[in-house]
Amino acid sequence: MVCLAVALCLPPFYLDAFWLRIGLFAMAAAIGAVGLALLTGTAGQLSLGHAFFLATGAYGYTWLAGEPGPGLPPALAALLAVLLAGAAGGLFSPVAGRVKGIYLGIATLALVFLGHHVLLTADSVTGGFNGRSVPPFTLGGFTFGAGDPELTVLGVPFGAEERLWFLGLALFAFTWFTARGLLRGRPGRALAALRDSETAAAVMGVDVARHRSAAFVVSSMYAGLAGVLLALSFRRVVPDYFSLVLSVDYLAMIVIGGLGSVAGATAGAVFVTALPLLMTRYADQLPLVAAPGSADGSVGPTEAARYLYGAAIVLVLLYAPDGLHGLARRARDRIRRRRPRAPATDPALSPPQPAATARSKEHTP
Amino acid sequence: MNDRTTTAPPVLDVRDVTVRFAGLTALDAVSLTVEPGTVHAVIGPNGAGKSTCFNVLSGLCRPAAGAVTLGGTELTRLAPHRIAALGVARTFQNIVTTHGTVADNLMLGRHALTRAGFAATALRLPGAVREQREHLARAREIAELTGLGAHFDSPVALLSYGDRKRVELARALCLEPRVLLLDEPVAGMNAAERARTAEVVGELRTELGLSIVLVEHDMGLVMRLADDVTVLDFGRSIAHGTPDEVRRDPEVLRAYLGTDTRGEDAA
Repeated sequence: MVCLAVALCLPPFYLDAFWLRIGLFAMAAAIGAVGLALLTGTAGQLSLGHAFFLATGAYGYTWLAGEPGPGLPPALAALLAVLLAGAAGGLFSPVAGRVKGIYLGIATLALVFLGHHVLLTADSVTGGFNGRSVPPFTLGGFTFGAGDPELTVLGVPFGAEERLWFLGLALFAFTWFTARGLLRGRPGRALAALRDSETAAAVMGVDVARHRSAAFVVSSMYAGLAGVLLALSFRRVVPDYFSLVLSVDYLAMIVIGGLGSVAGATAGAVFVTALPLLMTRYADQLPLVAAPGSADGSVGPTEAARYLYGAAIVLVLLYAPDGLHGLARRARDRIRRRRPRAPATDPALSPPQPAATARSKEHTP
Repeated sequence: MNDRTTTAPPVLDVRDVTVRFAGLTALDAVSLTVEPGTVHAVIGPNGAGKSTCFNVLSGLCRPAAGAVTLGGTELTRLAPHRIAALGVARTFQNIVTTHGTVADNLMLGRHALTRAGFAATALRLPGAVREQREHLARAREIAELTGLGAHFDSPVALLSYGDRKRVELARALCLEPRVLLLDEPVAGMNAAERARTAEVVGELRTELGLSIVLVEHDMGLVMRLADDVTVLDFGRSIAHGTPDEVRRDPEVLRAYLGTDTRGEDAA
């Protein structure tokens, strides 16, 4: 755990802005995907409206912290943007509390179209078709943008990406902490029960409508937080980004990653976010993929990435319906099972005693 | 934590309850009274309306007429989760467990007794953490009581049929109920499992003083455990009394065994 945290702090010292930006997008996507995983994976409620709540967070921050707008301190604006996304989810709760499963998915479609229309037409707030530039995040006089104050850590100049990396990491850690707490606690159990059997949940004392709406609100708030981080990483918000395709991307993330798990949603988010960017960057080295901008009718990198993750979804659904998370768990189980059979190897490599007892406990029927 | 069980449970009273499903009368003016601390069996052939009766008691089904009261509270207008909060727990005829471990299922059973909300749980506030710890300890006790102690951290999906049935019973007990509704608790179990479950149900009544409503096809179990028996046939209540009285009732013999020669003589 500590090793992982340290490893996640290292990239700004070694990687250039391109990689850091991929990391930032992936972190933002992971926060949003965790929110959707909670709603769709745990509570069994389909939502195609995630792009709307991402947009609420992104534009909410931009307007609240920016000019024209109230020009609030950015930290306060970010907090309010998250609450705004939650409130938007709350306004939808009469629907979200009553409609279940795939029917909610269709109902939330309306939100995406409505949101996109508002983003295009409410020029004074959203900047219309061309969008708005996003004011940089500041906290206690420290700007998460280029310069002001100039900062060099261990000989590495800290520009916007390097600084945002740590902000993203903090928000991402917060998301993990809270989402895992939720899933293991009372609300998570109630939501899982709703998914598995609504009648059983109700008879156990779970208020069905209240928990459905609450799951929707919480999911919207994570989406809002993801939206804030996305806006900060892009430095510009445009309406066309927040289309239905974005909602579908998030569904792809949680399906590829494995429904209902925080780690799975993260893995799926990294995969879906990083793939197109990496393919664009290395297009010239890939066979059968044309360089970006060439117009000779061959497959461009963006399309190739779409094909690849289309194929990934099909493969996951066919061979690993529980996603990357399930694959990882099965691989781990297999390693564990194999280890006790080969005890003659280097004693330093054999598992320590507590792990061994935990393992045997798990396998007793 | 389990202060409910220290006081005697209230009377559960079912008055003239009628349920119709699109022209089919599933329950026709059924009345029964569950005295505090007794086991009241509801028996009858398949399709007699036993499970519908349970669905009315737990709020999953609204009767067209009649009323169900627990103590002074009318249950017929309440949502299922409110009825659960009053201390009415039930099991299902077909096992309805959720994913996860036995512990997860039992903690779900304590939902109505716990308070931690979304915000407190997400931020892992001390109150929520403490609540979870305390209730987990109680859930473990209940697992021991029902013979699931060894499986507490096992995924429910890996358990045997009999054990999963017992998870349902344990989960219902986790509500610290005053009235426990058991829908065929031993159906599909082998003889040893039946005996064990019967023993647990018997202990529940004597030690915790619960009122238990039991739907069961296993007549041996009904005769051994029940204080009162109500017999349903085609949605009507055809007999009521102690197990011995019901066993000798000609209407009951007719319903169970078809038209009996002695029954014809009597007619």
